[in-house]
Amino acid sequence: MSLNKEIIQATHLEEADLATYVINATKEVFSTMVMMALEDCYPLKEPVTSFHCSVTGMVGLAGTYTGILSIHCPKSLALRITSNMLGMEVDEVGEDVNDALGEIANMLGGYVKQILSKGGLDINLSIPTVISGEDYTVNSMSDSDCVIIPFNSEGEQFLVGLKLHKES
Amino acid sequence: MGNILIVDDSSTMRKIISRSLRQAGLQVDDIYEAADGIEALSVMEGKSIDLILSDINMPNMDGLEFVKCVRAKGVAVPIVMITTEGGEDILKEAMTNGANDSIKKPFTPDQLNEKLGGML
Repeated sequence: MSLNKEIIQATHLEEADLATYVINATKEVFSTMVMMALEDCYPLKEPVTSFHCSVTGMVGLAGTYTGILSIHCPKSLALRITSNMLGMEVDEVGEDVNDALGEIANMLGGYVKQILSKGGLDINLSIPTVISGEDYTVNSMSDSDCVIIPFNSEGEQFLVGLKLHKES
Repeated sequence: MGNILIVDDSSTMRKIISRSLRQAGLQVDDIYEAADGIEALSVMEGKSIDLILSDINMPNMDGLEFVKCVRAKGVAVPIVMITTEGGEDILKEAMTNGANDSIKKPFTPDQLNEKLGGML
């Protein structure tokens, strides 16, 4: 799992630089909006494409670069994240969890857009999409040009993935 | 003291902004909420709003169009964009349309206080 050469040449960023940027962005979002300290475990040791009892939030990028920024976490962690964000106990995956995970993906997408975009108008972010389920596969996570960063929060792991293409 | 309208398609973000406004110690009376620009224009009818906090990236009517519509109605209320869209060009467009300032997500209550303290 690594960035393709096209992206490295266009952004002048090595994969580790981009990963560091995403790590810092994720930690900032979680410390200010979720009130949760994170530990990053980059690089990912083994590819992960299948998710069990999980929630995935995604936001698309379209323009000079296209891609997907995604966050994948176990339901128990998604509930804890949502409870922290809302300041109230949330005990089932529903509208609140979907909205919270979508908003985190949106904020992380905003950070990525900031480093890729010249002024903000050449890349658009999609409205966030959230999926959840007992057992599902995310195909983009298996591609070779996807950077995936594992994080740990109080013993629970979640992933932030960034898949990018440079449009010609 | 003032009435604030929060425009954001994320209900989570509306709750966070609402909570942060109070944590920031700002003098807030009523807080109204809308999920997009169209709903916000409807909420504004017949109400006295002292400050609008609006997202940019929203369905139906985005924040850029919403600001334009508010100013086209001749309403001079301060509008601050609260957004993940940190690019200079997009914020410049928001200002050209009539926004007064911007705050980037994520934010802290102190940052809200600093930006909004003088507007209420």
